[in-house]
Amino acid sequence: MRSLTLFAAAAVAIALPAAAHHGWSSYDESKPLTIAGSFTQLSWGNPHGTAKMQWQGKVWDVILAPTGRMEARGLTQADVAPGKKIGLTGYARRDGTAEMRIERIRVNGKTVELR
Amino acid sequence: MEPLLLTVAGWFDAAGIGPWARGSGIVYPVANSLHLLGLVMLVGGIGVVDLRVAGLWRSIPVAPLSHALTPVAIIGLALMLASGAILFAADGRTLAASPVFHRKLVLIALALANAAAFRWLWRDAIGGWDGRVPVAARAMALASIALWLAAGTMGRWIAYS
Repeated sequence: MRSLTLFAAAAVAIALPAAAHHGWSSYDESKPLTIAGSFTQLSWGNPHGTAKMQWQGKVWDVILAPTGRMEARGLTQADVAPGKKIGLTGYARRDGTAEMRIERIRVNGKTVELR
Repeated sequence: MEPLLLTVAGWFDAAGIGPWARGSGIVYPVANSLHLLGLVMLVGGIGVVDLRVAGLWRSIPVAPLSHALTPVAIIGLALMLASGAILFAADGRTLAASPVFHRKLVLIALALANAAAFRWLWRDAIGGWDGRVPVAARAMALASIALWLAAGTMGRWIAYS
């Protein structure tokens, strides 16, 4: 039984202290940011699209949605290609890292929800 | 662990697997579904054998149960390795930097070592286990369940950490 206890303790010790680094709760939803601008880089890929954008003197990592979801809601890769004028509403990381998760995109007269 | 994982991620990208997994709308969700199916087969297969070895359902003989379900678990494991490689290839840089993913890999290594040790220690004895099962074997069976469930939990946790 001693070895069982040891194994269980080891498993719990390894498994438990894993928390908080970059998930949903690490973005501050109480302070939505509304930004106009354009991406400097775009990666239209899974598990979710990512982009880079210059804003307030910093280069931001921008987290989009899975490509299938964005396309199903009518957003195309061409809509948000680097250089295209877009409007974003998103949330910045609480820890001050220049990274934001996008809630919705306004482009070409349409508004697309990403969540 | 991060430099090694970055090297592997670079290799997947160079081989075209990374761009393929990221670039398609369907590859990632399909690989994700197969990864879950693999987990179901793995834990559903070996977990039942583990519970029997640990002391449940003593009217069921251990050897035929293990004989039937261990291959299911091994196929599930193979499915998880293949689909997991695709999921990693799609998002290798992020995963290489994820402490939760590192923990998941450590847990998988422990679970595999536990499974290999179990087989090495008890392969010949298992046929005679219809009554008493050695305490060490029961402990390893419970460790097996705990480790695979912890690995699966860490897998799910990656997206929320």
